[in-house]
Formats: sequence, C-alpha cells, structure tokens
Amino acid sequence: MIVNSLNRRGFLKASALLSAGSLFGVPLFSDGARAQAQKLTVRMDNDISILDPGYMVGGTEIETQNACLPCLVNLDLEADVYSWKPSVYVEKFEQRDPTHYDFTLKPGFKWSNGFGELTAEDVKYSYERIKTTDWKGNFEALDHVELTDKYSGTLVLSQPYAPFAVAGLTSGGSAILCKAAMLKVGGKFTTEIPAVCGPYLIEWTPKQKIAFRPNPDWTGPKPAFAEVDALIIADASAAELAYEADELDATEITSATHARYKEKLPENSAIQVAGSLQYMWLGMNTENPKLSDIRVRKAIQHAVDANQVIQGAYAGITDKSNGIICPGLLGHRTATKYAFDPEKAKALLAEAGVSGLELELKTLNEQERILAAQIIQAQLQAVGITVKVLPLDEGPFWEMGDQSKGDGYKTLEIWLMRFGTNPDPQEATQWFTSDQVGVWNWERWKNEEYDSLYKQGMTESDQEKRAKIYLRMQEIMEDTGAYVWINHESETFVHRTSVNISVLPSGEMQLRDFTKA
Amino acid sequence: MWSYLLKRLGLSAVIVLSALLVLFLLLHLIPGDPARIALGPRATPEVVARYAEKAHLNEPVLVQFWIYFTNALSGDLGVDVFSERSVAKIVLEDLPSTLILAAAGLLWAALIGIPLGCLSAIRPNSWFDRMTGIISVSTIAIPSFLVAIWSLLVFAVTLRWLPAIGGGESGDLADQVRHLILPAFAVGLGWVGYLARMVRASMLEVMNENYIRAAYAFGLTQRTIVFRYALKVAILPTITLIGIGFSGLLSGAVFAEIIFTRPGVGKLIYDMVMNRNFPVVQGAVLITTAIYVLITLLADLLVAWLDPRVRDSL
Repeated sequence: MIVNSLNRRGFLKASALLSAGSLFGVPLFSDGARAQAQKLTVRMDNDISILDPGYMVGGTEIETQNACLPCLVNLDLEADVYSWKPSVYVEKFEQRDPTHYDFTLKPGFKWSNGFGELTAEDVKYSYERIKTTDWKGNFEALDHVELTDKYSGTLVLSQPYAPFAVAGLTSGGSAILCKAAMLKVGGKFTTEIPAVCGPYLIEWTPKQKIAFRPNPDWTGPKPAFAEVDALIIADASAAELAYEADELDATEITSATHARYKEKLPENSAIQVAGSLQYMWLGMNTENPKLSDIRVRKAIQHAVDANQVIQGAYAGITDKSNGIICPGLLGHRTATKYAFDPEKAKALLAEAGVSGLELELKTLNEQERILAAQIIQAQLQAVGITVKVLPLDEGPFWEMGDQSKGDGYKTLEIWLMRFGTNPDPQEATQWFTSDQVGVWNWERWKNEEYDSLYKQGMTESDQEKRAKIYLRMQEIMEDTGAYVWINHESETFVHRTSVNISVLPSGEMQLRDFTKA
Repeated sequence: MWSYLLKRLGLSAVIVLSALLVLFLLLHLIPGDPARIALGPRATPEVVARYAEKAHLNEPVLVQFWIYFTNALSGDLGVDVFSERSVAKIVLEDLPSTLILAAAGLLWAALIGIPLGCLSAIRPNSWFDRMTGIISVSTIAIPSFLVAIWSLLVFAVTLRWLPAIGGGESGDLADQVRHLILPAFAVGLGWVGYLARMVRASMLEVMNENYIRAAYAFGLTQRTIVFRYALKVAILPTITLIGIGFSGLLSGAVFAEIIFTRPGVGKLIYDMVMNRNFPVVQGAVLITTAIYVLITLLADLLVAWLDPRVRDSL
C-alpha cells in the first residue's frame, strides 16, 4: 500500500535536506540503503497479478514463487543439455521407470503462518490440483501422487512422458503449496500466498516493488542476501538508466544495450547471457499459390542471409538459429542444409518459371522485427522478389494464420514469427504437427513421419535416441522449404561484479541462488 | 450564477458520458478478439471462454454497453483481467502520486513564472523583460520528456545527486520528496514559460486601466498597486490556465512517470495498454476524464466567484 503522509515537521525536514544539498552540492541523495552488503536491488519487468501457480500469468510471478515456495527439482544448468537435479527440499528424487518418479522430502521445513511441516501430502495436493487449473499443460501426463509416508511418495504418470521432469517439474506450475493453508483460503489465491516455505517472505507494493524479507521460519540454506528489493520497471531503457545511476545491482538488458555494453561496460559490471529459449524464423504458407512450388520456397531459403539480419537488427549479439530447438536443449542443430547463395536462389526461381514475384511480409510492429523484415526485403529484392513489409499490431498478427478466425490464412504469404519454449524439445515441436495446421502450423504442411516422431519423442527415455528424433524432425521442417531460420534471442543481464546472479534460461531470476562474488 | 452552474454541470455530465461511450467502443474497434488480445496468443480456449463470459463479451454490443454503463454509474469499473483486483481500487492507488506530481510541478512553476511575468510587465521592453521572454519561449518549446531525460541523465546518472526511478519509500517523506524533485522539475518547466507569458500579457492590459492610473495619481507605491490591485485582476485567466494545466497533467505527466518509473495514473495507463489490460485502461481514462472535467469546472466557478464582471455576464 502506498503511504503518502505530509505534515509540517516532515515538510520542514525535507526542505532543509534539499536546501543543504543544493547549497553544498554534495551527493546527499545517493541511495545509501542499497549499498548495504546484505541488500540486493534488482529489476522485475512486470508487476505480479496472480501468484497462484495454477492461474498465474508467468514471468515475474515465477520469480516470486521461486523465492518462497518449495519444489521437487530444479533445472540443472551445468549439464551439457538442460536436465533436472533434486532441489534443496528433497533427500531423494529418482525416476524409477518411465511412469514413476519417487521422492522423499527432507524433514524439518516449516510453512509460515503456523501451518506446520512441509509433507508429501502437500506435494500430492499441489500436483493433483495443478491438473485442474490453467497451468495443467505440463501435468496432463500425471495420473496421481501415491503417498508412502509423511515425507515420501511417488508421482505416477498415466503414460510415459519424457519431458515431465525437465519441462513439468521445473516449470512455473510446479511450486508446492501448503494444503492446509490452501484449504483455509478456499483453494485459490491471488497475490497473498497463504503460507510460504522458503528463505523469503514477500512484501508487495503494487506497481512499485516486491520486497523479499527474511523468513524467520526458514531452516534451509541461508541466501547470500538477507533482503532483496525487486523494483518493478516495465521499460527496459528506464531500468538500464537506473542501473547506470547505481540504483540497481542487476537488470535484464535489450539487444541494443548489450551491443553498447560490449563496447564499454559500466564500472564494476559484468554481462551474463542466461539462455536463449526463443526461436525466430521466416515462415512461408505452402498452400499459397505464389509459394506452392517448393523451388520458390527453397529460393527464398537461399536468398536470405540470417547473419546479416542478426548483424543489422540485433547488433550481432544473438545466436544464429538452425532450427526450432534452442541452444542447450536436446536436439539442437548446429547447421542448416541450405546456405546463403543468391545465385542458386535466382536459378531456382528461373527453374520454377517465376519472375516478378511480389510478396507481402507480415511482422509484429516492433522495432527489431521491422528492421529484420526490411533487411530480408532487401535480400529478396536482390534475387528479384519484391517484398512489401506489413507491420501489424498483436491482435491481427496473432490471428492471421488462425483458421478459426476466418479466411485470412488463405492470403497469408510470408511472415516473421518468434516463439518461446521451455527447456525440453517437445514444447517447440508440438506446434508443427498435422493437427496444428491452421492453429499454429501456419506454414500448413503435413508429414506423417513428423507426427510419428513427435509421439516417439514424448515417450523415448534414451537421451541419444531422443536427440536423433528431434534433429530429424527439424530436418523434415526445413525440407518443406517453408522455413528460414533466423535467430535465438537471448535473455541477457548486466550485474555488479560483486554479485553472482542466477537466472533460468527463460530469463527468470532465482533470487535465493544469487551469491556474493 | 445558479443557471450557469446547472448548465456547466449538465455539460460536464455529457462530456463524461461521451468518454464512457468512446472508451467502451475502443475495446470493440481494436482489430482482433478482445479476449485473446487481453490474454495473449497462447491462452487456452477454456481461459479465453471464461474471460469472455466474465466480461460479457458473448452478449450483444448494446447489452454489453448497458452493463458497462450501469456498473460505471454505480462505481464498479470492472476488474483487472489478470489479478481480478478492482479497477477503481487500482486507479485510486496511483491517483495520489499523480496529483502530488502535478501539484508540485505547477507549484514551482507558479512560484517562478508568476513573479517573472509581473516583473516583466512592470518594466516592459527592459533587458529583464527580454530575458524573461527568451526563457519563457525556450521552456515552452522544450518537450517535457526531453527535460525528463536530460535531467535524469545529468542529476541521476552522471552526478548521482537524485534518484533515477521510483516514488520513494512508503512512509519516508524525505525519500518521497527526493524522488519527486526531478519529475516535478520536468513537468513544471514548460509551465514556467506559459505562466510568465500569460501573467505578463494580463498585467500589461490591467496596468493600462484607468483605475491603475488613478492609483498612481493618488501616490500609492508601485508595490501596492501591483500586488493589491493589478495582480488580483490579472491573475484570473491564469487561474483558469492552472486549472486546465493541472487537469491535463493528470494524464499528461505520463512521460515523466514512465521515464522516472514513478507510480501514477499516466504510467498505469501506459503499462496497461502494453499489457492489453483494457478494463484498467478504460477505468483509468474514465476517472481522469471525470477529474479533468471537475477541475475545469471548479476553476471556472472560482473565476466567476472572484470576478463580479464574469458573474454578472452569466
């Protein structure tokens, strides 16, 4: 709650301070509190709306949950590809077979507000509940949770589901809630978590700050910073200026600022790239008469140089993409089958008997994407394809390939698209199956092998075989000619060298794991 | 006076109702499905359906407007799409911060601008008058967002004298004042020029009136003539200007609020537009429109009360 109290004494005190500051020109106004070693100030890019894991929006809410709610596993960022590791709350977490995960909680973790100990009953309540909420996606394979004793149990899946641990149990919906506290508040909450079990308690000032304060009931590992202030700053540029004004210890930065900081970093600062779980591509509608000939689509693949796009629109700081599986994930590709070759593009167009082709390139109305679209426009012009760039607002953009929204998809030609994903390759591949044609598969191709591999990938537990499945799926996509892979935008942070930050590949900070350098 | 008051109240009601209608239509004029726009492209069909039902989007447009209209009249502006918090509560949380910023900006502008205008009018065409003219035009010409960015870069980033972002700690008045200085400077600077020019022009007109010349003939001091007789009349148009300026700053302070990440109604509207949270946008704009109309009305009534000639002409 915002408190604005003004009285005569306070006014005089403030006036005296101001006068003194202006008279002596001394930096009376530097933020002394933040300089205290035990306190950390970071930026969050959005306010919290709903902290309930079943109904949250994501992002900031996941960061907040991570700081004060338990989970069974964490993402293992040290492994060659993203995998899971047991969290501080568990003694044991093991996959017994493709459908059974056994867990044993460490005894002694206490819920706040006098709700007693964290038990297996809380795990059962939380995960069986999440199946009925908006965030059920990653838990649909969970059948039920069997309890063995007070601290132990088994997560039982209805069928093998390989992404369950990496994508489900490390996702936003995997936070464990206190059953007793939840029942007391009617099974649902918004911004006040009924009981926490983590190093921090939350004090929320709407639209301004989420203050993380020490939880006196916490018996686990003490975080390096007793207090964290997360200032809500939606605008990235404002956050960057605040960082340069020494009012933040860490903030996410834009591609443009990343490029600027590569030249000259602010004092006592370092850059950390957390991950690149986004993939952007130039898509082509295979059913559009202008693009139905695969030679035309392949010509476009050869005509576009993604490296130039990355240099021109993203200041050269994003990873070049070779498919939809992002770096760090099983099945990430390191090369494409096609290469930038304008002469080959011209030859393919000539072979297809196409000349004077005119296309409409649709993109979201965002600065970097429009710039990327303009570079592609110039590259296609060089091989004789005239492109009109059409920036769209979110409403019409996200409906343009959706068959349920009318016939607009029929006239869709080429577009720039970016999706985000989670740390398992299944998420990214699900949008391109045959049943997604007209939903998210706007390129409108169908391939039985792809559909079959998609099903195999979900159940295959052998990592090597799984990697091969996803590599082949991307090859099938590329062979349609409907994709030009562009880049993987990264989640990049700047931070003080006195702080080691911990950020998930999707960009969420894990405040409890921040350490002092 | 009473008929004037009734007429003005009626006009104010029409303005607020028109705003209500425009705000309602806004949601329906934006291309795309309102529910999907608000919830994002990946919202599940169940969530979209639940939102559509809650927001009465499945009803005919006229029915939707009637529900919106009657709810708004009873003070129910709906709920936040995501958190389901009351829109009225969300807007009223941020309103004091904007009111304080607008008041502080106009206060310092008035404290500088009005004396500058007076002194210029007393010595027209002097070097002081010319300097004031240059300063006035310069401050009017510089957009407030540029002032905000420059002052932030100089005083917060480079010199680090003042904080760059936020509204200050709750309950800590000194901290809140520190956080108010740069935004108030940014929103007020342009008003220094406006007020100086307005007061100068009014004063020049008044200073040529017969009763002022008579006062000089009676041997009254210039100070008495200026502050007791001339300024009292010359300030009237300025009161209206300040009233309009204050109302305008309720949403016009948006640049300062965004640049300094300061809580306020302008920033709230901006953030909610970015998040496609249209019920909050509608509620915030409606409340600021109502306040704008109310303050403008009060300023006009104040002028009528202060100046018998205005009162009599009604």
